[in-house]
Formats: sequence, C-alpha cells, structure tokens
Amino acid sequence: MIGMVRQMLTCHWSGRRIERYLDADPSAPLTQAEVARLETHLASCERCAKLADQHRALHRALSLWSGPAYVDPAAVNRVRTFLDELTEGRA
Amino acid sequence: MSEASEADEVARGRVFRDLVEPEIEVMLRVARTLTSGNADAEDLVQETLLRAYRGLHGFDGRHPRAWLLTILRNTNVNMHRRQRPVLADDDQLRRESRPAFGTAERQSAEQTFIDQELDDELHAAVGALDPRFRAALILVDVHDLSYAEAAAVLDVPVGTVMSRLSRARDRVRRALATTLPTGGLS
Repeated sequence: MIGMVRQMLTCHWSGRRIERYLDADPSAPLTQAEVARLETHLASCERCAKLADQHRALHRALSLWSGPAYVDPAAVNRVRTFLDELTEGRA
Repeated sequence: MSEASEADEVARGRVFRDLVEPEIEVMLRVARTLTSGNADAEDLVQETLLRAYRGLHGFDGRHPRAWLLTILRNTNVNMHRRQRPVLADDDQLRRESRPAFGTAERQSAEQTFIDQELDDELHAAVGALDPRFRAALILVDVHDLSYAEAAAVLDVPVGTVMSRLSRARDRVRRALATTLPTGGLS
C-alpha cells in the first residue's frame, strides 16, 4: 500500500517535470538531481515512459508541420535586400 | 559627416546586419503568426528592422532574437493599434497550416498512413485550441522559439508561456492519444 502511494507520488512529481526535461529550455532547467530522479523513474514506470514518448511524438509532429513554418525564400531575400539598404544608409 | 563618424556608421551597420541576418526567417514566421498575411508580415518585419536599427544603441548585445521579437511585437501593436492583435486565427490555420509529415525522408507505407491520420487529427486538435494556448504551442513547438522568446512575442511572463504550452500540449496529446506513434519514433 505504502509502495503504491509512493509510486503515485513519484508519477505525479515526474508528470510535472517531463516537459521541462524534454524541452531543456534555458529559462526553466531541471537540477541534476531532478534529472537523475526523473530518468530513474522513466526507466521503471511504463505509464510515465509512455507519456514521455507521446510528448516526443507530438513534438516531432508539430516540428514537421510545414504550414505555419514555411517561409517564402523570395520574402527572405527581399527582407535581406532591405537590411542591406538600411545598413548602407539607402533605406 | 566626418570621416570618423562615417566609419562609426559603417561599423554600426555591419554589427546590426550580423545580428539581424540570421533572424530574418524566424522573424518572418513569427510575423506571419501575428498578422493575417504574407505581405503584412513582410511590412511588419521591415518596420521592425527600421526601429531596431534606430534603437541599436540601447541593445546590450545579449539575446538578439528576443530583442528583435520584442520590437516586432511592439511594432505590430503600434501598426494595428485599433485592431485586436490576431494570433493565428482559425481561418488562417485552415488556409495555411496543412501539416506535411515525413517530407524529408523515405518512410514505410504504415508510417505514411499514420502520418496522414495524424495530419488530419493534429490539424483539428490544434484548430480547436483557445487562441492563447494555440499561440504558445505554435511559437514554441512549430517555430522552435525558447520560452523566453515566446514570452517576448506574447508579452507575458515565462511562467505563463509554460502553463499555456503545457495545457495546449495536454489537450492535443489527449486528442491524438490513439494516433500518436510512440516507441522508437522520437
């Protein structure tokens, strides 16, 4: 019983840190101790490991989403030309 | 202009160009998320560059992308003062945001099927999000901005970006729970 409660608490603790662990964003780093505890838990908890897998898969799907990410190379070139003119005092 | 001040101006231009050039593409992507069309996005980026160049003396040299995105957001607000800022509205998403999975690599027929399923479901799930949550998701997961850069664009604290992002991901992940490929595909 105590073991089950402890496991649930660790799952809850891990669930609140999985995104920060996967994002590794400089604004919200996990401590080394947190990373170690989370990795140990992911290695032994199927449910949390599956949650981490889903987050990875979702991130992959979104990073391949070409609609919002597509930029017309001609637009980039026009802005680059504008930048040249601006910094050479012609804009 | 004296020779010395002319040399200063040339050096200033070079510094600015080196700072900005690598950020043009991400600025255009974010500008398109903030505006309703490609032409508006280009105007917004050009106006942002003008303002940034004028304000270069006040820039501390750290985090140029966040600096430029902050000016981009403020410029957008000033250019459309009478309009409510639009963040990737539903129509725009429907028009422009067709996911394209696995375009850069060969993949199995099974994977193609999964991606096609995911394509439709992802589109629906992201489209159903509250615009504030959707903006955080698109800026961080599609445009690959850091939390701080997304916070600069949205003019909210980093903690707010994180909580919106988490809620957005949670909703999309639950909507796609049966379709998301897991295990070995990360």
